[in-house]
Amino acid sequence: MKTYTYHKSQELFKKAADIIPCGIYGHFSPAPLIPVTDYPFYVEKAEGSRFWDIDGNEFIDYMCAYGPMVLGYNNPTVDAAADAQRKKANCASGPAEVMVELAQEMVDTIPIADWAFFAKNGADMTTFSLMIARAHTGRDKIIRLKGGYHGTAPWSQSPDHHGITFNDAKDIIVGEWNNYEALEKYVHANKGKIAGIISTPYHHPTFADSEYPDEGYWQKVENLCKNEGILLIIDDVRAGFRMDMGGSNEFFGFKPDLIAFCKAIGNGYPISSLVGTKDVLSAASNVFHTGSYWFSAEPMAAALATIREMKKTNSVQKMFDIGTKLNSGLIDLAKDHGYTMKITGHPSMASYRLVDDPSLVLHQKWCGEATKRGAYFTSHHNWFVSAAHTNEDIELTLKIADEAFKAIKNNTK
Amino acid sequence: MAYQIIKAGINLYAILKNLEELIGLDSKCQELIKGKTLSVQFLVKNGPKAWLSFKNGQCLVGQGRLKSASIKLWFTSPEHLNKMFDGKANPIPLKGFTKLGFLKNEFTQITKILEYYLKPEEVEKPSKEYIKINTQFTLTVAAFALPEIARYDKKANITASHTRNGKIQLQVLPDGPSVYIVIKDGELVANKGVTENPDAIMEMSNFETANAFLNGKSNPFKAIASGEVMIKGQIPMLDNLSLILDKVNQYVS
Repeated sequence: MKTYTYHKSQELFKKAADIIPCGIYGHFSPAPLIPVTDYPFYVEKAEGSRFWDIDGNEFIDYMCAYGPMVLGYNNPTVDAAADAQRKKANCASGPAEVMVELAQEMVDTIPIADWAFFAKNGADMTTFSLMIARAHTGRDKIIRLKGGYHGTAPWSQSPDHHGITFNDAKDIIVGEWNNYEALEKYVHANKGKIAGIISTPYHHPTFADSEYPDEGYWQKVENLCKNEGILLIIDDVRAGFRMDMGGSNEFFGFKPDLIAFCKAIGNGYPISSLVGTKDVLSAASNVFHTGSYWFSAEPMAAALATIREMKKTNSVQKMFDIGTKLNSGLIDLAKDHGYTMKITGHPSMASYRLVDDPSLVLHQKWCGEATKRGAYFTSHHNWFVSAAHTNEDIELTLKIADEAFKAIKNNTK
Repeated sequence: MAYQIIKAGINLYAILKNLEELIGLDSKCQELIKGKTLSVQFLVKNGPKAWLSFKNGQCLVGQGRLKSASIKLWFTSPEHLNKMFDGKANPIPLKGFTKLGFLKNEFTQITKILEYYLKPEEVEKPSKEYIKINTQFTLTVAAFALPEIARYDKKANITASHTRNGKIQLQVLPDGPSVYIVIKDGELVANKGVTENPDAIMEMSNFETANAFLNGKSNPFKAIASGEVMIKGQIPMLDNLSLILDKVNQYVS
């Protein structure tokens, strides 16, 4: 099987690194792509479940733009809705009618939602959710959980990171995932001071396995919040619309006060949303929060089309099925080669790890070998599948994975 | 106060640590310690303690107290020690008055040679050999500075406490110098050499790459993206190490 090279990506990155901080910053940084020389950096085009890099290499994409791509790149239904709206109006001197249509669709789709607010990125919404919690309760403190990612706003980062101060973290208490007793202790030790608890619906940190909540965990947290007057905020930016169209809390059977969505709701068009219950509508209305492009109508039309298309085609089930097929194939292949593949999290966005080497080096080699043969796997982050991934994609992926296993076996001999 | 303690720790534990290799690498240094058998104890009130031992043409540098050192030097504070390293103060000798001539003469010359190898910006057209030595010494300073910064710098202390237990290997390929850091419960310990089964690895492809990378003369993102500096394993450990490493220049004169 032919392996890829990335001369153009490398050359372009050299230029970029002189004129753009980090060359490529943030979650697209090449740094966690290991071995880095096995990975492309720049995309030329994308279609369905695949993308092509600027060196002309074709990949079956298991990162799906790190989550936004749920219906496939260039989905014709979504693109047609976006195009039609853009031709009418996109960024104008007032919102378009589609904003209200989209809000109604969100309210009709998500059981806890009595209202919806729109912005661009997940962090716009997680930060807004904290402001609402503080406005609603008149309290300052927020509990977030270690390893939970809520964007890059100073409150969501550790104070030892560059550009973050101890003041930024002053009112943030950091708890632990799945540790209800610790959470309860923090709440009781700060009685009447906690405005909100923010968490992802299940734990999906980088460089670690994903973890579902223990049986009854969320129900206990929900009760604790109700009893103590704390708002329960779910950051569904990554998992939203991948586990349940009503929000991932429905999958786990609990009711938060606020849910932040982003990635999947626009199938790649820039839009995020916060939805909430009627009890917090007044606080949400009192907090001033806006942005230059938050009323752009094109992404709203795309989001409306995405949600309708996902419901119509039962995308959540499709992604579950395709992810499950991929997972069972990889587990069997690993076993055939004498390795153990641990897969955690929801099949539409699972985390993968070869447990045979705790340093991750073996897993990194395998992901790199697969990537340079055309299945874009990363070793540091959960993967994503889309409703556009086909059985043929999975079959080819498993062939590539098989070759990658052979390659790492030869490398370590 | 933390600044002075960290700087004193780096001076004693990281900068002086290079004397162990310098003596073997530089013929003038070998000449200066030829036939000398003596040891120097550095004692800093409310600060670090370290010793140097010269014997059989070799030098050893250690942390803590050495039994019956030939020369004992007392410093009233970490700041006092740091001023001495900057050439602006003298130590208070407690023992070994008859051997102080060694400190004023041979030892001063040795530290000047060490300084020469640690300051590439002051060397016009450095030779390949100079680059090799500077790389090795810079790597040692960085590695042995880490525990001091992690212990006393408020932010670095948080970083260290967030770092999983394990070992990080930093290595210049193909057979250049290596150091490794052992992390346990937020405490860092630096070591020279190669360790078995490291949890995270940073490999610099050759001396030139390593020298530019360690001295901040190359674009680190280019170096990593091109694979000239290869990172692998538990990358969050390297990310955290990098947060602490970024602070070294704040403390090294």
